[in-house]
Amino acid sequence: MALINLAAREINYKIVYYGCGLCGKTTNIQYIYRRVNPAARGRLVSIATEEERTLYFDFLPLSLGTVKGLRTRFHLYTVPGQSFYNASRRLVLQGADGVVFVADSQISRLDENVDSYLNLWENLMSLGEDPSRLGMVLQLNKRDLTNIFSVTDLTELLNHTGSPVVEACALTGVGVFETLKTVCKQVIARSNES
Amino acid sequence: MTRRKGLVISDDQMRVLETVLDKLRRVTGGTLVALVSTSGQPICTSPSDSSSDTLSLAALTASSFAATRQLAEVLNEREFTLLFHEGKESNLHVVQVTERILLLITFGHDTQVGRVRLYTARALEVLKPVLETAENSQRDDAFLDGDYRREIGAAIDGLFSGSE
Repeated sequence: MALINLAAREINYKIVYYGCGLCGKTTNIQYIYRRVNPAARGRLVSIATEEERTLYFDFLPLSLGTVKGLRTRFHLYTVPGQSFYNASRRLVLQGADGVVFVADSQISRLDENVDSYLNLWENLMSLGEDPSRLGMVLQLNKRDLTNIFSVTDLTELLNHTGSPVVEACALTGVGVFETLKTVCKQVIARSNES
Repeated sequence: MTRRKGLVISDDQMRVLETVLDKLRRVTGGTLVALVSTSGQPICTSPSDSSSDTLSLAALTASSFAATRQLAEVLNEREFTLLFHEGKESNLHVVQVTERILLLITFGHDTQVGRVRLYTARALEVLKPVLETAENSQRDDAFLDGDYRREIGAAIDGLFSGSE
């Protein structure tokens, strides 16, 4: 649900990074925070445990400035990946305009990826969201590691909607901005269609 | 399954909201009064301000309130409709206006909590119908046309150029 404020000439879009525990959602946001123009970013808020695992969410507002007289912002959120935090995931997902599903490419993380992907759709359905109205991107993270699935295999498993796929290594930043750009443009396109 | 409608606030509605928020801030001696969506986005603030801290405050307030609602569920309570945090220098009071909109007010210790609660309840009587109308109105996205889409595409490329 894009929030459009005609009086203040503002439009805000919400993008959620989703995926299993330790897949690299927070790493994506942290990289964006470090590298994006400081004038365009707000405060990075992280609600994490002492072990730096996401407890509730990370939040980073990005401003695109004024486009055709409308001040446009993207609000980036991550969800906690660990399975027992599903209530928190649902809350963060509420009102999302776009979702980046971050997949851990390692073969050993297959079950976690699939569980998280199914959990995403289950939560979207329970929130009454129409997934066809959401901007969606599949990011295949940790492509620098060995013992990883092929792009074809992961795409077959985790992308039944045929969404754009981006290969990434969030730790070094490879694919991080490409993912973000892709989902932002998808969100705008979907918003125009609705 | 239908996707929930977007929330579109018109100029006239915004003028009413701003007036009510300004008055509420004045009569309560509040530091900041804001309407935020339950998805964490600020709608209107008094004083009018869109600093990054306001964005963080909106996101955190919405999530804190959402967590409170879940707590109510766990405790078999129908709902907790308000949230109050007391600090050394300032306090935060949050109430639900509609299903999708919250009102938050920050104030210091020179203001009594009872005063804030009383005037907030009165403000809700005005805010609620205005926001319910806004929630039920049809989106008019005429300004989100092809030009906007093209320009925003260029702005997205511009924002991230040199970052990678």
